[in-house]
Amino acid sequence: MAVTGSVFVAFLLFHMAGNLKVYLPDAELHFNEYAHWLRGFLNPLLPGSSFLWAFRAVIALCLVLHVYAGTTIFFRARVARGGFGRAITAKWHALTGRTMIWTGLIILCFIIFHLLDLTVGAKGVASKSFSGKATYTLEDGEVVTNAYQNLIGSFERPAVAAFYIITMVLIAIHLSHGIWSIINDFGGTASRTRSVFLVLAGLIALVIVIGNASIPLAVLAGVIS
Amino acid sequence: MRLILEVWRQDGPQAQGRFETHEITDATPEMSLLELLDRLNHQLVEQDQDPVAFESDCREGICGTCGIDINGVPHGPEDNVPACGQHVRSFHDGQTVRIAPFRAKSFPVIRDLIVDRTGLDRIIQAGGTVAVDAGTAPDADTIRITHHDAEEALDFAACIGCGACVSACPNGAAYLFTGAKLAHLRLIPAAQQERSKRARSMVAQMEQEFGPCSQIGECALACPAKIPLRAIAAVNRERIRAGFRSRSKEN
Ligand code: HEM
Ligand code: FES
Repeated sequence: MAVTGSVFVAFLLFHMAGNLKVYLPDAELHFNEYAHWLRGFLNPLLPGSSFLWAFRAVIALCLVLHVYAGTTIFFRARVARGGFGRAITAKWHALTGRTMIWTGLIILCFIIFHLLDLTVGAKGVASKSFSGKATYTLEDGEVVTNAYQNLIGSFERPAVAAFYIITMVLIAIHLSHGIWSIINDFGGTASRTRSVFLVLAGLIALVIVIGNASIPLAVLAGVIS
Repeated sequence: MRLILEVWRQDGPQAQGRFETHEITDATPEMSLLELLDRLNHQLVEQDQDPVAFESDCREGICGTCGIDINGVPHGPEDNVPACGQHVRSFHDGQTVRIAPFRAKSFPVIRDLIVDRTGLDRIIQAGGTVAVDAGTAPDADTIRITHHDAEEALDFAACIGCGACVSACPNGAAYLFTGAKLAHLRLIPAAQQERSKRARSMVAQMEQEFGPCSQIGECALACPAKIPLRAIAAVNRERIRAGFRSRSKEN
């Protein structure tokens, strides 16, 4: 849990940094460049988009292990509880900790939707304007997919934008407990380290929700187009 | 004070349990919860009914026998206080108070409010006694232990084994209990020689009967010995440490 969860946190931060390029002047260029760079990362060393595929394989493996471990914990916990209810208290980590499986499952649905929407461009999920073809010319003359326009096209649908925003809030809730759990899973008993993780959990959760959820909001508000 | 008590009654391990409602009209604010149960039993015996079976011994927070759930909270409404130290003054006049046994799969009810907590004993047994031949008592100060370590070991040694952490836990886990033991013993010089062996066997035993930990934090609030939540991380720490050491090593 802690290992795969930490991989996700690193990935999310990295992914968000990329996403935030939509706010740069000349956003279309920078964002498409970034999307293109990601595909060809470490190109001289590894051929074609093999880095991207290796990366995807690691993330996919982590996802499978994470979901497997999470559901195992959920079912083991239910058995050990023995069918006796426990009142939900208003304490933050009691609420977030007990809803990890539910926030997690919604995130899982979101991940599938997100891939179909912006990576695959599946019919019925992606926006009508989605195009997987190379139509955008970079400064060096190379023609790449216009990932930027696909993103804008998707977020111009209010229901989809709302789904993205709600999921970001859920990811923040999942992470505010998840990052705090990491220190427990790795056996951190020192009081100061633990306080640092508690603060870090809240901070990273906030940064991710503000950074990512602001993009669909900005598209809806017409700030970026 | 008048209180309505809904008390769990169960004739035996296999019997169907139920809540029974009784009224106490002469409760006083300074009564402890156990004295409230004594009062109820007095009343029941006078009415020719069976008294409610519950456990208690020291009635001053040392022995750990007095575990009950009060309105769904182990030991009662006050955080970090055993049932014998909780008072009727936490309730208001006319309030309904639900009294149930500690709740977890690993704590089967024996009768009424008494549960079988030997699952915790089995974790202790798995840890074993400190089997090192330590010879005759060493001279004072030949084995050094820092003041900080001694204090820390004592803080974790404060666990009275009542089982409130398990009953408080939505996962039915015994991490706070096991962690307190491991964190306590890892600091004691003589016990260090079996540190990883102990971690392996205690954790394995714990996993067999109790649930997984999700860092929810209810256990530390319920704990009458104020074992800090850090203890649950001690379980993982000792487990990971033992995992990195060769199986042939005991320390
Ligand atoms: C963006 C994706 C995700 C991120 C960043 C993430 C992150 C984390 C982190 C850091 C933890 C704490 C690990 C630990 O125990 O140390 C965690 C726990 C958990 N995750 Fe995720 N997760 C994600 C997706 C999911 C998904 C799709 C599920 C689907 C079931 C899920 C279910 C769980 C559960 C049930 C736990 C709690 C386990 C426990 O009770 O200790 N997560 N997650
Ligand atoms: S009766 Fe001994 S701790 Fe409560």
